[in-house]
Amino acid sequence: MPRASGKGYRQRPLRRYGFFIAVAGLLALLLLQTSPRLNEGVEPIRTAASDQLFHVTRPSLIDRISGASAREREILELEARVRELAQYKALALTMAERLEVYEDILNMQGEPGGAEVTARIMAETNGPFAEALLANAGATNGVAEGYYAENDRGLVGRVVQVGNRSSRILKVTDFNSRVPVMGEASGLRAIMFGGRDNLGRLTDLPEQGEFLPNERILTSGEGGLFPRGVVVGYVRGKDGKEIRVDLAMLSGQLSYVRLKPTMTIDAPELDPVTAPPVELAEGEGP
Amino acid sequence: MMSVSDLADRVALRWDGARPRTRLIFGAMFVILIGMVGLTPKSLFGLPLAWPYLGLIAAVGWGRSGIGFGPMVLLVLFGFAQDASQAPWGSHGLANLLTYGLAAMVTQMADTERSPLLSFVLPVVTLFVGITLVWLVASISSGHVVRVTPMLTAYFATLVVHMVIAPLFDLGIRRGSAGAISV
Repeated sequence: MPRASGKGYRQRPLRRYGFFIAVAGLLALLLLQTSPRLNEGVEPIRTAASDQLFHVTRPSLIDRISGASAREREILELEARVRELAQYKALALTMAERLEVYEDILNMQGEPGGAEVTARIMAETNGPFAEALLANAGATNGVAEGYYAENDRGLVGRVVQVGNRSSRILKVTDFNSRVPVMGEASGLRAIMFGGRDNLGRLTDLPEQGEFLPNERILTSGEGGLFPRGVVVGYVRGKDGKEIRVDLAMLSGQLSYVRLKPTMTIDAPELDPVTAPPVELAEGEGP
Repeated sequence: MMSVSDLADRVALRWDGARPRTRLIFGAMFVILIGMVGLTPKSLFGLPLAWPYLGLIAAVGWGRSGIGFGPMVLLVLFGFAQDASQAPWGSHGLANLLTYGLAAMVTQMADTERSPLLSFVLPVVTLFVGITLVWLVASISSGHVVRVTPMLTAYFATLVVHMVIAPLFDLGIRRGSAGAISV
């Protein structure tokens, strides 16, 4: 390897000038960044560079080939979904507590609790006469006639017949089924009955006002057959004069249902109740 | 069948015959490769690993061949890549460039080729200066004295790695030769 003196080096001062210019340039760049305004302009560049260089979730080539990146992405999405749902859960619990307090303040006679049974559907009747389900829970399990059935999406039907170990549920898709419903947003009331095409139909519509498209339909609780607020379905649209409803329960599974009691209100006694006379204070009264 | 020693000899022979520009490109690719690995989380059994400043190693190695535009540009670019994390733009480039200049100056002033002690001391000192520059710029830009221990561990890691890979940054040219600093 040739080795020479520094003569050649000294003959090339241009590079040394270049060196000093580069050092001065970098120093100037450093000093310029002490200005907050200029630094604000530079930050987006750093952010973009950081995104490209230090993105830990960015999949590597090996991950892309092996499919690990897709799985990881799915896991990340699911984790995000769980976090989101956890927030809703916390919110729901808070709201339930508040609702309980409000109902207590108002001395409201709420829906009865307890005696809920989860039953497995043993048979399904979709014949021309009735659309019903046979569940493997009966009187011995605490199920009584009038219980309503729910799956993970919404209202399934109502218990119309109870045996010792089984019960028959009339589905809301049955033509003879009648469910008092209301629109969640519009607040309008109607009666829903089943049809042959697995859609609900609304009848006894109010003269004024219209159900909104895609509006959620809930049980209104009128008549005491069903509690108020159970999801039934969504307004699909008008077919002539008829409003049809996409039933929520059909989008869920029908292998298991939850049988729940409804609030039963005893009829008033035949003998009139004699309430003790209220004594009026002096100066009161007509 | 070629043995491992034969293969090593052939590689060494090829490296000896490689032109400065080829050596420069090879060294730059090595810096980029190690730098890219350095972007990944660096820990062993939960213990964080100190990552060497490859830019400084390249600066010391290339600086021995004198000042050249090619190495200067590359060192500034490496510096910008290092700055992308959190440092002010130009801080690593400045450290790389000053280390490069210092290595070139010391090599020019003293005959490090014929003095083993000097050839050993040169990287120790220049790398220390480089790391100190990084520490200094970081301290000034952040407005407080940056912790010394991580810088020291990084310095020792850089020094150890330099001892192993220093030949990769030898451009194979000497001061005053006809092809010197033409990269």
